[in-house]
Amino acid sequence: MATSASTSVAGNLAALADPPARSVDGPAVDYFLIEMVNTLRASSAVAVTRTKKIEQEMTEAGLLFPPQQGPPAVPSKRDSMASTSSKTAGADGKTVVDDEEEALRLRLESIGMHVGANIAERLCHDRGLFADTLDAIKFICKELWVACWDKQVDNLRTNHRGVYVLQDNAFKPIQRISSWQGRADALRRSKMYAAMPAGIIKGALSRLGFQAVVVPEITTLPQCTFQVKLPKGS
Amino acid sequence: MATTSKQYKAIGEDIWKGRTEKTNAELFALTYGALVVQLIQDYEDYDEVNKQLEKMGYNIGTRLIEDFLARSNLGRCADFRETGEVVAKVGFKSFLNISPTVTHGAPTSVATSPTAATSQSASAGATFILTLDENPLAEFVELPEEAIEGGLWFSNVLCGVIRGALEMIQMQVQATFISDVLRGDESTDIRVTLVKYLEEEVPVGDD
Repeated sequence: MATSASTSVAGNLAALADPPARSVDGPAVDYFLIEMVNTLRASSAVAVTRTKKIEQEMTEAGLLFPPQQGPPAVPSKRDSMASTSSKTAGADGKTVVDDEEEALRLRLESIGMHVGANIAERLCHDRGLFADTLDAIKFICKELWVACWDKQVDNLRTNHRGVYVLQDNAFKPIQRISSWQGRADALRRSKMYAAMPAGIIKGALSRLGFQAVVVPEITTLPQCTFQVKLPKGS
Repeated sequence: MATTSKQYKAIGEDIWKGRTEKTNAELFALTYGALVVQLIQDYEDYDEVNKQLEKMGYNIGTRLIEDFLARSNLGRCADFRETGEVVAKVGFKSFLNISPTVTHGAPTSVATSPTAATSQSASAGATFILTLDENPLAEFVELPEEAIEGGLWFSNVLCGVIRGALEMIQMQVQATFISDVLRGDESTDIRVTLVKYLEEEVPVGDD
């Protein structure tokens, strides 16, 4: 009697310490992620406009050199804004659009990094550190991919010098993208939806101790590849 | 005989169990949290952030309602009271797997216009309050003092979803938070007030 009571207590405690994963509806989250991109596009436009206005005021007051002449004198509070001042003057309209696209991409990536780091932590909490980069990448390809996108990576290639290419032939976030303007337009729009996943991979690797540069590439929908560059020598 | 609360609960359970595609709630909570932080940094104004969250929710709601109608096969609700039951027991259950409790309120202000008192205009002003015992969005969240004082409603997207979804089925409502445990209140409550029923309108431009 005593042993069965203690195992049932242990069982309850285990359930309390490690509760079963809660779920929410898949499509609802998909709609949310889609709308999130639109919301961030609007907010990044507001933020970019505000920063440009401050830069302009400071330039007029003589406190700041105009962007073409060199790096800004004032360090920006938010790292995501650093890229805006490095653009040289092109056709003005184009520069603004590029800035906004870049600002949006950076925001999505940083959200992805936050999510990826925490998900990786949850998935790895009861295992030791990864021995080398290959093991970490394999973890990404299998467990992280399943946790986020319900499948594993289809193809992993490496040049054995710190560059890995992860290929997913039916990448969930872009699987159902279509555009009434045609395939080329759909392809162009889909690139922004790969920014957050790239951030997830980057964040997960950073939590595991590896600083990586992750570049997503989409040549044909719904296939997506991620090029992961890790520093040499894990 | 109107469908009882228990039956709606059962319908909600069935739809949730029948859902084939489910995502980890943590993923959702983490993403939403990071989004709110980013919006606060971008807008630097808590009222504006509330508005943007509500707007995002509105867009999501207009799409969710179609999904909901397709899967639930429920007919038209007899009155606003029933709408409240369905939103709480079937709607929230099938998308977020939570069952908020519903408290119905009498119309807060009687319409004093001289228009004919049809049963519809008489119920304008009808309200229900959804009390969420658990909020999957706020899993890992703690609000800083500044955000509480600034008036941030963290889960404001839910108000937008309710407004968007109900607007697509001809009900114009106002959905607002009246309390939130994240701000130190006793409970998390959303009040939904019916403004009016919408007529099916011919889109502008068609004659």
